[in-house]
Amino acid sequence: MITRVRAMKPQELAAAAFRLREIGIVLALLVVVVFFSIRADNFLTASNWQDIAQNVSIVVVVAVGETFVILTRNIDLSVGSIVGLSGYLVAATLAHHPGVPIEVVALISIAVGVGLGLVNGLLVAVARIPAIIATLATLAIFRGIHAEITGGKNITAYQLPDRFLSLAASKPLGFPALAWIAVVVAVIGAATLRFVPWARDFYAIGSNPDAARFAGIAAARRVITAFVLSGALAGLGGFLFASRFPTLDSGAATGFELTVITAVVIGGVNVFGGSGTILGVVLGAVLVATISNGFTLLRLDEFWKIFFNGFAIVAAVAIDALVTRRLQEALRRRRVALVSSQPQAAEA
Amino acid sequence: MRRRTLVLIGFAVVAAAAVMATLGTAGTSKTRYKIFILPKATGIPVFTQNGNGAKKAGKELGDLVTYNGPTTVSGAAQVPFIDTATRQGYNAIVISTPDANAVAPALKRAAKRGVKIISYDGDTARDARTIFVAPSTNSLIGAYEVQWMGAQTNYKGQIAILSANATSANQNTWITFMKQELRKPKYRNMKLVKIAYGNDDPTTSAQQTQALLQSYPNLAGIIAPTTVGIQAAAQELKQEGKCGKVQLTGLGLPNDMRKYVKSGCTTKFGLWNESNLGYLAAYVAHNVLDGKLSGALGQSFKAGTLGTFKVVQSDGNKPVVVLGPPLVFTPQNIDKYHF
Amino acid sequence: MRGVAGRVLVRWETLLVVAIVAVGIWSVTLSPFFLQRANLLDLVTPYVFIGLMAFGLTFVVITGEIDISVASTLAVSIVSFAQIFAAGANVWVAALIGLAIAGGLGLVNGLLVGVLDLPSLAVTLGTMAAYSGLAFVILSGEGVATFPEGFTKLGGGYLANDELPVALLVMLFFALVLGIVLHGTRFGRYLFAIGSNREAARLSGIPVTRVRVTVFVISGLMAGVAGLVYVGYFGSARADAAQLSLLDIVTAVVLGGVGIFGGTGSMPGVLLALILVAEVRNGMQLANFSGQLQNIVIGVILLAAIVAGNVIAGIRAGGGRTRPRRSRKEVTSNAPAETQVLVDSNS
Repeated sequence: MITRVRAMKPQELAAAAFRLREIGIVLALLVVVVFFSIRADNFLTASNWQDIAQNVSIVVVVAVGETFVILTRNIDLSVGSIVGLSGYLVAATLAHHPGVPIEVVALISIAVGVGLGLVNGLLVAVARIPAIIATLATLAIFRGIHAEITGGKNITAYQLPDRFLSLAASKPLGFPALAWIAVVVAVIGAATLRFVPWARDFYAIGSNPDAARFAGIAAARRVITAFVLSGALAGLGGFLFASRFPTLDSGAATGFELTVITAVVIGGVNVFGGSGTILGVVLGAVLVATISNGFTLLRLDEFWKIFFNGFAIVAAVAIDALVTRRLQEALRRRRVALVSSQPQAAEA
Repeated sequence: MRRRTLVLIGFAVVAAAAVMATLGTAGTSKTRYKIFILPKATGIPVFTQNGNGAKKAGKELGDLVTYNGPTTVSGAAQVPFIDTATRQGYNAIVISTPDANAVAPALKRAAKRGVKIISYDGDTARDARTIFVAPSTNSLIGAYEVQWMGAQTNYKGQIAILSANATSANQNTWITFMKQELRKPKYRNMKLVKIAYGNDDPTTSAQQTQALLQSYPNLAGIIAPTTVGIQAAAQELKQEGKCGKVQLTGLGLPNDMRKYVKSGCTTKFGLWNESNLGYLAAYVAHNVLDGKLSGALGQSFKAGTLGTFKVVQSDGNKPVVVLGPPLVFTPQNIDKYHF
Repeated sequence: MRGVAGRVLVRWETLLVVAIVAVGIWSVTLSPFFLQRANLLDLVTPYVFIGLMAFGLTFVVITGEIDISVASTLAVSIVSFAQIFAAGANVWVAALIGLAIAGGLGLVNGLLVGVLDLPSLAVTLGTMAAYSGLAFVILSGEGVATFPEGFTKLGGGYLANDELPVALLVMLFFALVLGIVLHGTRFGRYLFAIGSNREAARLSGIPVTRVRVTVFVISGLMAGVAGLVYVGYFGSARADAAQLSLLDIVTAVVLGGVGIFGGTGSMPGVLLALILVAEVRNGMQLANFSGQLQNIVIGVILLAAIVAGNVIAGIRAGGGRTRPRRSRKEVTSNAPAETQVLVDSNS
């Protein structure tokens, strides 16, 4: 008598583990919310949460793009510079041509981001420069171009048309406009990764680049696409940044890439590529923003926030790596069990 | 094999260096003075205005005036400019620094090589410069800002200061005088609850303002003695709909603030003519180079179209040349100023 | 090409020397002040702290890892040193403690990467942020800026009629010492072996874990030394020190011919590359380029250095055909291929 043991397929086991990851973030979020509601006044007010939502929205938009890149086992350090440069161009355009419709300006911003992302993609996929080096260089190059364009001046809020400035203040249905945009971007991003074939390839490329190539995936083209998307979303982020912080100088959004990558890593995206979800990233961003807000309400020094961010990245990476290792061991054991109990079982 | 090639490389390097060193020349020709204006950062509008004023003075005096500096506000970032200016043969460096002590060693190095150091706006350590050109009397600036805030808040409530850099000499001096003014009995119902630092960065200043509003929901007013800070705070207050509920004052550029004055975000703030400040600083540098000013108190000189000035002791700091009393901007006169 | 001449001419270091001379000629056209002895000797002084960190980073990169937390390590090191000194300790004692702290921070990286086997990019990304925040917590805002003359001489002092910078001597000293360790000791050979093929190195008896932990400690210690020079030259110890220096450090390492995937590199190369970077920056400064424009140039140099390295590797591999660089992560990946699961995202 052969008992058929229906073990979980590897994919299901992995998926369950990643579900666990998101649940983990939600739990952490709950703990944080409870902690701060007790310890800090005004934490649970509507206006405070509107503030959090608004602050997190720009991060989420750019983090979706960064996720695409990190899934392919690359990284994009230049997103901060892209946000700054495109944001400045948005402001400069509106300052000199106040009649231009806001939608057009947003498209310009995205287009600039696409161009810059394309540069990154070509450097990584065609010139074969490791992403960490390539985007470290473009971080400096894009920032330098930005600074040269400003010519030592800045654009001040008073130079911008009111209908643009009011975008950041408007709250349709009580939810900040910027946050609505972030939600839409996140949903589209998640749907893309789930349903669009070439986007699903990101996971394959990140998990095992050679296997992906053997399977016929045009890895180079996918990587370029990932960087272009990252750039495009950073461009959109620049538009949102300009509306939220309408005075822009050559240093705008410096260091922003760290905030974005923190959200992505804490959201469960593996730095080695191959796994992660948009939902996790959104939750990660919200978690970081909530803790930051809580620190502010507790009147803690600014710098504890920076320290905590870094510590959180290390912790998240360590936990993820250890969990992955456990998962791998579990998978190995299950395979052994499957093979020994069912000699004719086909491996998925 | 490796060792041999390494030795050969070594020889090549040393040989090249020796050749270049022996070719070294020295000396520059001095047909007119070369003055280097070094701001806290080049991207901040008030410094651009200083620079333009200085260049105007340079044209009148026949001196070469160069305006350059780091793009981020940092004392350490100014150090390479000081060293290079020395090597490029500049006769004087006119510097405004966010970190009085950080630039002192570099300035002393320059001074040892004959370069005259004049500070303006953001003072350096006292032994590192010949004369400090102050935009106004510090005690006046500090006191006025508190007075303006008191008038706007009816002399009661929690107030916060949104400053620039924690290491900035002028910021800290003004804050000291603000605290001194606050000790007067008529401010007994006003309490300074926090000093936040925006680092002269528009985004940081906006975020710090939001943080102030979040952590002190009953905040009555914000004093921002920085043109970058006050503008960012005004925009943030407007965005959050808090204009008129949270009062705002400080030092600001009329062009920047005009819209916010008209929407009631602030009814009184001040500054000075930034272009004139740069103009005056250049004239001071020129006179120091001419030997007419040595830093001794009481010496006087003429600064072009601005008139005659004297070297004085001001609020315990010396030697100082003061531009004049602060300009006060209100809804009534704001349209008269265009800088 | 045959013989010594052939081997000399095609070496990366030779190209660097040529570049140094070429940039020198360009700098002279920009400003006659370039060739002044005082200027030439002082060329590298503002960048010595970068060079010292580049030397330390070289060790890490040769083993196939990366450490982007060096600048933050410097910051923590100097603010700790400053606080201890301000509390009344002797300046040299405080400096030693600062160095020890720097080494400790490197040890944390080493343990996370070497023992726990976590990816060095992610780890040092996290420690970079954590250490940076820690620096601000230790010494927020103000900074300390009065140190005794004897100490500041290390970074900002000059000998021989005020023209020979002490910092230059410090840098040459460490270049020599670290160069000997890297190229002339067994430990150094271990680094190259691990960088080329970690598993093979482990199998041949090299104490891989211990070596990997040690290189991060070295990287941390060098950041500490760099910090001491930094304080001497810039005259202040602040938490935001050296924040933007990572670009130059990585450029010096890559331009110095150190293979970014590990296994190749030379200390003389990094030293020459650092001199070249300093020379380029000095030239740009003399030409009154803005700081940001300078960064564009350095960024382009960084990219060009990698591309040049790829091209040369391709030429060596087989006459013109560019051989795709093997992915570092495939060789040193912690995750055996069988367990790489291709996952559906939201299923």
